Amino acid sequence: MAKGVLGNDPFQRGAASRDGGGAKESPADAKPARKEAAKKAAAPAKQPARAKSGNGKAPSASAKKSASAKAVASSGGSRKAAAPHEAAEVKTATAAKAGGRKATASHAAEGGEATRAPKAEGHKTPASQVAAEAKPSGAAKAGAHKQAATHEAVETTGAPDSTRGARAAERQHDAAPPAPHTAQPTESVDEDPVLPLREPAAPVAPRPPPPPRKPVVSDEMGARTPKQREVDHALAEALAAEVAEATAKVAVDEALERRHGEEQDVDRLMATEMATEIAEAAVEEVLDHSPPTQNPERERELASQVAAQVAEAAAVVAVAEVLDRHATTPPAQVPPDEDGDQEERAANSAEDEEDTEGFQDTFDLEAEAEGGFGPGEDDEREDDEDDDAPGSLSDTSGLELSVTLSVTAPEEALETGDTSALEAEVEVPDATRDELPRAQRGGLSLVPPVGETERPREPFFTEQLREPEAPRPLAQRAAGMLSLARDIAGQALASEGLGRAMGAMNGLMQAMRAGLGTGGGAHIDEYGKDPSLVERLDPVLEFLYSQYWRVSVQGADHVPQGAAILVANHSGALPYDGLVMSLVITRERPDLREPRWLVEDQVFHAPVLGTLFNRLGAVRACPENALRLLDEQRPLVVFPEGYQALSKPFAERYRLKRFGRGGFVKLALRTGAPIVPVAIVGGEETSPLLGRLPASFLGLPYVPLTPLGPLPLPAKWSVRFGEPIAMDGLSPEAADDLGEVQRLTERTRESIQGMVQSLLRERRSVFTG
Amino acid sequence: MDVSRPGKERLRVAVTGASGDYGKLLLHRLERDPAVESILVLDVARPEGAKVEYHRVDLTRYDAEGELTDALTERPVDALYHLAFLFGPIRNGSLAHELEVIGTMNVLTAAGRARLPRLVVPSMTAVYGARGNNPALLREDAALQGCPHSRFVTDKVEVEGQVRAFRERHPDQRVLVLRFAPVLGPSVDNPATRLLKRGVVPTLLGYDPLWQALHEEDAARALHLALRADASGEFNIVGRGVLPLSGLIQQAGARPLPLPGPLFRAALHTLDVVGAGTLPVALLDYIHYSWVADGERAESALGFIPYHHVRDAAAALKRS
Repeated sequence: MAKGVLGNDPFQRGAASRDGGGAKESPADAKPARKEAAKKAAAPAKQPARAKSGNGKAPSASAKKSASAKAVASSGGSRKAAAPHEAAEVKTATAAKAGGRKATASHAAEGGEATRAPKAEGHKTPASQVAAEAKPSGAAKAGAHKQAATHEAVETTGAPDSTRGARAAERQHDAAPPAPHTAQPTESVDEDPVLPLREPAAPVAPRPPPPPRKPVVSDEMGARTPKQREVDHALAEALAAEVAEATAKVAVDEALERRHGEEQDVDRLMATEMATEIAEAAVEEVLDHSPPTQNPERERELASQVAAQVAEAAAVVAVAEVLDRHATTPPAQVPPDEDGDQEERAANSAEDEEDTEGFQDTFDLEAEAEGGFGPGEDDEREDDEDDDAPGSLSDTSGLELSVTLSVTAPEEALETGDTSALEAEVEVPDATRDELPRAQRGGLSLVPPVGETERPREPFFTEQLREPEAPRPLAQRAAGMLSLARDIAGQALASEGLGRAMGAMNGLMQAMRAGLGTGGGAHIDEYGKDPSLVERLDPVLEFLYSQYWRVSVQGADHVPQGAAILVANHSGALPYDGLVMSLVITRERPDLREPRWLVEDQVFHAPVLGTLFNRLGAVRACPENALRLLDEQRPLVVFPEGYQALSKPFAERYRLKRFGRGGFVKLALRTGAPIVPVAIVGGEETSPLLGRLPASFLGLPYVPLTPLGPLPLPAKWSVRFGEPIAMDGLSPEAADDLGEVQRLTERTRESIQGMVQSLLRERRSVFTG
Repeated sequence: MDVSRPGKERLRVAVTGASGDYGKLLLHRLERDPAVESILVLDVARPEGAKVEYHRVDLTRYDAEGELTDALTERPVDALYHLAFLFGPIRNGSLAHELEVIGTMNVLTAAGRARLPRLVVPSMTAVYGARGNNPALLREDAALQGCPHSRFVTDKVEVEGQVRAFRERHPDQRVLVLRFAPVLGPSVDNPATRLLKRGVVPTLLGYDPLWQALHEEDAARALHLALRADASGEFNIVGRGVLPLSGLIQQAGARPLPLPGPLFRAALHTLDVVGAGTLPVALLDYIHYSWVADGERAESALGFIPYHHVRDAAAALKRS
């Protein structure tokens, strides 16, 4: 509607073609896309995505690969870029340790999502770096477009570009964790057993008491009835149990001694019992599967052999387990169970609670103790009927296999007389290398997490937890505690309230830096507003708006669509009212274009305040700026009283000053934009002017003395919009008619003063409303 | 006579100051422009180029005007680019004044005599001056407030005055004044690049004015467009977008160092008096207030649409 009037105006063309057009729209279009992309990607992906969107618009900067990493760091803030990077590096560190197979696995995963990356530098390129390198190609493409296209085209190509980046990051994130997961089973075979624990078994192999005693029951050879066999079995088992217990006791004592020195009876008992149980179970398995024709003596011998060896081996493991559990979790007494289903379930269920964890521990322990006999005799295994992957410990066939192996193992060991090799292979469950990646295991080495429900939803934290493994048990335990502390910290950070507080702090810091003039900022419009800063400050602004000042709004519907001049009373020593007005409009009337407010020079050029306000959307009050903003069909907030209103003493609060020289009326007449009178109550009490400090050396007329310094008081704010004063029937030439201007100015002023008075009458208390 | 007439394809272009930054940027493009037949270089040094016809002219000499007139009338040219302006560190202020102001006077006189159809003169947005009362976007008709402390800027303002007077006297000749935002790029050297190439750039504490910058490629393109543009007058040639000074510094790979205004001012003046000043005092204005020019007219009348964002320009500087 203002077009006809604006046609005469020199500013009209500019805003219509350049600013009102695509160039202005496209950043706004690009924003939701970016936001969406960022949302899709999880937290770590979010930051690179943002860094990227800054980068995407710097085509020449990112065209060269060498510069890309730096460009990302500088545009996105190196701090942000570092976090996922670090996580990726940790990942790669583990990948590097886990032999060739794993390295290729992770490489494949990386290659999968970063096919666009020009060249990944070997297998160990951190995934995030790959992503960072993938960016330039996209960005360079955007640059190529840019060569041919106009503003809008470029801005819109920027948006999908950033989306792509975020998606790549997301994919990377999705793909990365499975790599260690799938590679893990091979690890237990490829790798040597953990070093420090090999020691105790190797040196002075405490041989079990020689088992071949005289059989208690000596029967005639030949055909044996099933009943006889049963008896034999029972005898053998009893013997084996005895042997196992004795051996286990000795071995546990020794292991305990070696492990620590300080022993506890409970530990010893538990470990012995565990080892004995394992040994017995093993013996039972052996006897059950032994050929029925075997003679009983041989059977007993075998049983005691097995019992002794298994018990000894198990003792070490049991001690480790008991101590570990003692150190970290309250001992969960769960009898070992051979049920394969349950074992599988325990191995697979990632989020099970303590009980299952206890199960799982025991099973891991058992399976590994038994499977541990395997690797020693590779030939034998190959002779055996299966070509099953030796790493499949978690399924039942694997269990059986290892049991049959343990049947044959003692024979061979007896023949060669070299048994130490067998014990050397005993694997001790290491909390840091389990079948399941640590993230899924639910903290095996940790005290049960405080609030399992508050488990970090964002993979950022869980990834960060994956740390390089400690080489020694002691160091490992310390690392466990460290990771526990980190976990708790991470969970605290992930909790919503704290996260919001941190976000608010971050926003405030950013605002502080912007005010001091070191904030940087890459996306700033020509008026100086920094939308990203406003976004970051949103928690703070939201708090101020709805909790601190409890702004109540009446008659926001009176603001018409398109250009409108919102004329309000200025109040308070510090001009928070402009900010509040812009918040009111954006919250109450999201259908309108983003509002701006005009501030007088004295505020606009105040050192920190002016710069900060400028970033938040304040525009210097001058006719050129006002015309341009109205041309963009924005609601424009003006405070015609200006500086006088801010410098009036508290005693004169809410008494409106002279309305300047009616500049806003001239503006309305020239553009045809309606005037909406607005009354604001609360601003005076938010920052009452107690005094003025001379500050001419700062280039300021004075520094206001307020109760909390620059901080506002929690007065309750009320904002009331009046009926719009339309400029219908008035020609732009009326702007030169001083009488008409004066009349309209006075009318607006009276309207506002009336609304202020009624708001004040309705107000019962300054702070509670 | 009008070179912008379509179909005319044998252009003869004269250039002064061809070995300066603008000259190099332009000559490179003119060499590749098939419509340009020859380039008459009026300078003290001979640049490389297949199309170059060299005519030695020293603009600071008293007889420069006659030389120029001879050279321009001997074989008429379609356009004259007067690019002989200094952007390097000025050690001899009076020489700079001779070259820029007196040299321009000579060029304008010769151009008037030779009835040149088209004259292109570069200027800069700094001539608007960085003032607190600047509107958010300065249009071409804004007053040139300049910067009283800086000879560099005041000379340019004076040149602009001469050129405007010339344009009013010769309405039949096309005179284009291109007001460039600070040109950044690997191959240019001017106060802005020197400022941003420092590792630490002092700024005023509490102030972060908006800056514009122009990538050197865009600058070259704008100069080239002026050869055919069917327009006359002043044009703001600016890159896309704006950056706060701190952001520009960061994009250029340096760090802003905010100093309290009074301290900074005193230090700068002291250094200037001593003669050890590495930063011009005039800088104070430009790091205090915004001076953002509106490139809309160049877009609509000249057809100049910047390809590069300010960030790109700063990053290009960083890479160099």
